[in-house]
Amino acid sequence: MANLNSVQAQQLSANFFYLGMAIGDFRYENWDRLSLEDNKELSDTQNSIIRTGEDILAFSSTLVMDELEESLTQISTITEEIKRTMKTLGNIQKGLNIAAALLILGVAISNRDTKGISASIKEVRETWKAPLVRSNYTF
Amino acid sequence: MLSSCVNLKSVGDFSAASITGIINFERINYSFSQHCLDRCEDEAVGKYDLKRARECSCALYIEADSVTQVIYNSIEGYFEGLGQLSQNELTTYNSDAVIRALTAEEFGPVRIDEQTATAFMSLSNTLLRASTDFYRRKKLAKYIERANEPIQVLLTKFEQIVGSNLTGELKFKRERMYAHHMDMKMNRTLTSDYEKGKATSEYYKGLKAIQRKDMELKIFAQSLTQIAEGHQLLFLNRTKLSVKDLQGMLQSYSGNVNHLMSQFNKLNN
Repeated sequence: MANLNSVQAQQLSANFFYLGMAIGDFRYENWDRLSLEDNKELSDTQNSIIRTGEDILAFSSTLVMDELEESLTQISTITEEIKRTMKTLGNIQKGLNIAAALLILGVAISNRDTKGISASIKEVRETWKAPLVRSNYTF
Repeated sequence: MLSSCVNLKSVGDFSAASITGIINFERINYSFSQHCLDRCEDEAVGKYDLKRARECSCALYIEADSVTQVIYNSIEGYFEGLGQLSQNELTTYNSDAVIRALTAEEFGPVRIDEQTATAFMSLSNTLLRASTDFYRRKKLAKYIERANEPIQVLLTKFEQIVGSNLTGELKFKRERMYAHHMDMKMNRTLTSDYEKGKATSEYYKGLKAIQRKDMELKIFAQSLTQIAEGHQLLFLNRTKLSVKDLQGMLQSYSGNVNHLMSQFNKLNN
């Protein structure tokens, strides 16, 4: 037999709901005609049907997972790509900062300023190591 | 050109409205596990069953909640990314460091005054912004195109779980409550008018709470439908609509989601 899908499980649960309701109505309409034992038995059956219907609905929701595997993977891949694109855009700011640090280094070299050169190299290195400006985006 | 037709602000506003709608899921305060615990308690009350600790078997319901949570996280993560990628702040670059470098006194005989440096950087930034915005539009169009099918599936299933399955559980809860009170009535358990009145009042109070929760779930489910339709519109028009048209059309979906959220908030307050 083929496995149930989530929508079929929903329909099945609806059947259990109406069956439980019908048993209840039957009990109340025939209350005085039913023996205590019969009424108790019907009440237990009603409870059990309602319970099963509830369980099937929860089960239907777990079945959804099997039906979504591909879509979840696709969306997760796309979300990762979006994050990478944002990182690229964040890198542009870092690139600007590095360009500025290199410019100062260039000036120091052309001026043969040894102290300036060493300070500028340090600056370039620190700018390079600095985290991306927009790396604080969270998902 | 395909990418130039995607309006960044429209995408940003629609994503923001979608996120506002989706994160309301966390405020619903009703879940499969909660339903299972309520059922366990209702049954204990019905049987006058007293235990030192609650003994409820809810593994299936916990699993249903974790499936729902995975779907919720995926949808929310996608719209968050889409919104952030369409934000203008993302391509507003700070050029102070370059201006400082250009105007540095160490330049020797050649001096660049700050005004010229700023004008030069402003021009560079405009060009940079234009090219990065073009890049973003191109990327957004591509992501929207690829994400549409899976996001439609996820939103539909999310809607199914909240709008049908969770509301379905509430119907069972209502039926159990009705059976409990009807049994008391038919058994003539309650004798005084005071007891009967109190039980009836409790029943209708319980019914009202269920109806309110049901309404909340349905409004949330409707907002998911609006979000799915908005994304579909974005997808369908990614190549042919003018910027203005797209903005107007998406605004109506964002407006619908916001309207539903205001109804949701009224029920929650």
